[in-house]
Amino acid sequence: MAFNDYDADATELLETYDFLMKYIIIGEAGTGKSCLLHQFTHNSFKDHSQHTIGVEFSSRTVKLGEKKIKLQLWDTAGQERFRSVTRSYYRGAAGAILVYDITNRQSFTNLGRWLADARALASPNLVVVLVGNKSDREDDREVEWAEASRWAAENDVHFLETSSLTGDNVEAPFLLCARSILLAIESGSLDPDKAGSGVSYGDRALRRVNSSSRLSFGSLSGRRRKGSSKLRLKDYVPGTANSKCC
Amino acid sequence: MSSPAPRPSTSPLASRRLVSGVSPSHSPSQARNPVSLRLYKVLGAGFEDEATKEALRTVSELYGASNAAGSKTTNVNGNAKPIAGSSEDSDELDSDEDERSDTDEDEKLSLGPYLSRQVVAPTGAAARARKNLRRDIDLKLASSSRKFLKALGEVDQKLDALQEHITSMRTQCDEAHEQLQTTNEACKSLLDQAGNLRQERDMIATQQTILNLFLSRFTLSSEEVTALTSRDVPPGKLFFTSMDKATKVREDCRVLMGVDGPTKAGLDIIAATFANLEQAYEKIFRYLVSEFQTIGRGNRDRERSVDPDANLEASPILKEAVRRLRSRPELLSEALGALSQTRQSTLLATFLDALTRGGPSGLPRPIELHAHDPLRYIGDMLAWVHQAIAAEREFMESLFGLGREGESSRRMIGSVRRFEKGKMGETEEWIGEVVDRNVGKLCGPLRVRVQQTVRSQERPILAFKIANLLHFYALTMRRTIGEDAALSQALGELSEMSYKVFFDAIEAQGRALLRDLDDSALSPPATVEEHMQTLREILSVYESSRLDDPSDTQPEEDGKAETSGGQSHFGVERILEIMINPALEVCLTAAEDKKRSRPTWDKSVFVLNCLTYLQGVLEPYPFASAEKERLDALVEERVNDLVNEHYLDILRDAGLDSAVAVLETKAPGDPLSRIEATQPNELSLALQKFSNWLSGLEVVHSPRLSRLTVQRLHSRIHQAALTRVANAYRKLCEEVRKPENKYEAASTLLGGQRPFGQIHLLNQIFGLGDEGE
Repeated sequence: MAFNDYDADATELLETYDFLMKYIIIGEAGTGKSCLLHQFTHNSFKDHSQHTIGVEFSSRTVKLGEKKIKLQLWDTAGQERFRSVTRSYYRGAAGAILVYDITNRQSFTNLGRWLADARALASPNLVVVLVGNKSDREDDREVEWAEASRWAAENDVHFLETSSLTGDNVEAPFLLCARSILLAIESGSLDPDKAGSGVSYGDRALRRVNSSSRLSFGSLSGRRRKGSSKLRLKDYVPGTANSKCC
Repeated sequence: MSSPAPRPSTSPLASRRLVSGVSPSHSPSQARNPVSLRLYKVLGAGFEDEATKEALRTVSELYGASNAAGSKTTNVNGNAKPIAGSSEDSDELDSDEDERSDTDEDEKLSLGPYLSRQVVAPTGAAARARKNLRRDIDLKLASSSRKFLKALGEVDQKLDALQEHITSMRTQCDEAHEQLQTTNEACKSLLDQAGNLRQERDMIATQQTILNLFLSRFTLSSEEVTALTSRDVPPGKLFFTSMDKATKVREDCRVLMGVDGPTKAGLDIIAATFANLEQAYEKIFRYLVSEFQTIGRGNRDRERSVDPDANLEASPILKEAVRRLRSRPELLSEALGALSQTRQSTLLATFLDALTRGGPSGLPRPIELHAHDPLRYIGDMLAWVHQAIAAEREFMESLFGLGREGESSRRMIGSVRRFEKGKMGETEEWIGEVVDRNVGKLCGPLRVRVQQTVRSQERPILAFKIANLLHFYALTMRRTIGEDAALSQALGELSEMSYKVFFDAIEAQGRALLRDLDDSALSPPATVEEHMQTLREILSVYESSRLDDPSDTQPEEDGKAETSGGQSHFGVERILEIMINPALEVCLTAAEDKKRSRPTWDKSVFVLNCLTYLQGVLEPYPFASAEKERLDALVEERVNDLVNEHYLDILRDAGLDSAVAVLETKAPGDPLSRIEATQPNELSLALQKFSNWLSGLEVVHSPRLSRLTVQRLHSRIHQAALTRVANAYRKLCEEVRKPENKYEAASTLLGGQRPFGQIHLLNQIFGLGDEGE
């Protein structure tokens, strides 16, 4: 159907997107998953947050380079009793934000279990970003940055620290995750056309696919060649990094 | 010229003196006044003024010219003179030179001969001139007058002609004037007419502009009408602006429906715009229906079907269309019905795909692959449905433009909790309804599968876990899509059903306990133990779903109680009841049965053992306290019974039974020593037996009680029984020592055997405190 006259005016006003990605946010109870998400979607700290019951949902569209990406975010309960429920939500997630509390060693030592769950239940191309939350509470720190960074390297996940209280670095894990997924798509290891990948093309991308090659990601391709993902990770060292990923 | 002038002027002066002197008497009056005055005046007058000079010069010229010509003929002179004279006349006609020339004439007349002489004397010409001056001048005057006459005659003639011309012109003019007037008269009406027409034209022009304004304000252009009504033009910007306009027109029309009742124009316009708008709404409706049908099927068509939420987007036109159609709820709901239908079938198909086929490449694996793991199976299905709902809801929210206006993509879709707390606006109702319908069809396959899975569960613990899971999702759905949504209700039913299955299972298990009871052991039956093991597991599942975070239980429980009618708490009570009661029953009936078949069998110990075992099962769970208290009371009762039994046993074993019995039964008046069982000999034997018993092992350890599984109870019962034995012994001693019981050697009788009538000694032996009574 041709209704270009109206469409053309409104295209940019809309939240059309190139990709839709499904994320799952996991980690021990009380590590600040919901607050992190709230900070990401609302730009504010969630006071008096209660334990999440089961799974909650929110979404946000982000811009990464030229791409607009809609993130469907599934915030899971960290409590043990909900594990059987939350496990079902790993299915078809493209990215996982694995959160621990830097002031709580226990939440860090349990990471292995969470990661194993995620790897076992989610799509094979799952991109995991490890997030050390509550970086504002430096005095109570129980997990050193270096140690977590080592763990992340050993387990082949991205790592950074955030503070959902101050909002410091909060966008970075989501953008970092999106970027990795885009790179996977670009390299061909992930196909958004396949269901269950946790990624699908948005309307905007579909329109573009019709006119040009779907695998051209513009500025993104250029950046990828500049450095390995590890180099980029350094940008996320807290204190030195700018909190904006792109 | 100047040279001759003074001479005549001086000479007349002298001559005048002479004249006056000569003839004073000749004319005295004349000499006296006018003449002399004149003379004086003439003499006093200077000829220096220009006019005089000019006059003189003219005269001189008159003659000068004839002199110069040699005065050949008088005719010539005569001819010349009038010319000069005429010029002089014309020159000095109306000045006072008239007078002077008159005086000159007079002088000439009166003094002519003298003067002529005098003047003629120097020149002949002058003399002649003097002589002829008058004549010359007359001649000249006459000739010039004639000339004048002639010329004037001509002029007169010309003037007459002119007069004639003028007269004729006048008449003609009059005629023309007359004609003009008549024409004017005639034109006047035309002019008036023209004026009127012009006015009319102006008026009409104004009316036209007004009408144009009116029309542009109150009617739609044909283009707009086409946009609104044509089936060939899809809705677009023009369409919506036209709609806006039509709506505005209708609003403005209120003016036309003014105070004096509705105007025809107003009615017409309203009717026209109404028709247009209706057509427009119809058009939106058709557009929405067709769009919804394609959108609904979109994913299927693209063969990317498993992800239910992929690429579900509302285009701006679609949103606008929905927004517009909200003022025609019946149409909107019909269009949304179409959407629901397609979404229903799409979702159903994708759900079935996810269940049975998985992704195109088999990843993720189909959900049914895990059907052997009922928890995962059901959990995966429900999670899929939950995610599908989220996507549907998001789509609907964007379709209805909920909370998206003015804000960028930062805006977050309402989370589950916020939805619950948020007020149900009109939009919310729409959305809720549509989402409900969209996912409603999933109930069928979901229900069948869940029911199958639930029914096939035999193990109560798994049934309980499934029931919990279903209950959890029922709550979640209730909060997400509302209490009345089909899916919520289906889940509620499923959850209820699964609880029922669970309760049936534990009840069946309870009933199964009643069989197979032939067993002489004093420990709780193995079946009960198994049963209780199940209960333990269930309770720990329950506990983990409830007490994971003690600080947070209270509000959560409130919430649960609100939404589920206190089912969780009620649930555990019921579970305990269902689980414990048959166990208790089994224990008690078993005890009776066994007792009947084996008289020596120790029923009390068995029952206590069972009860304490049940207590032990409930011990770690604070929420089971009520049930445990019930058990505690039962235990207490049984303990007291056992204490009594044990006390009697001991008395019997120690040989004091008959003596003690006598003490309790004898009549007050009878002396104890006279009663058979307490005769001194008998009593002495009994006391000896007691002494022997005291040295035995049974004082510190009862073989019977040692079969109690709870050692604490063993010592407690034993102690209690011993206390009573000690009391009985003390009472016996007291009675024996009493004189009225007539024992001859009471202290000897008592002191013969341990504990020699000394209570404190007995208490020491029993290990009891001294303070006992």
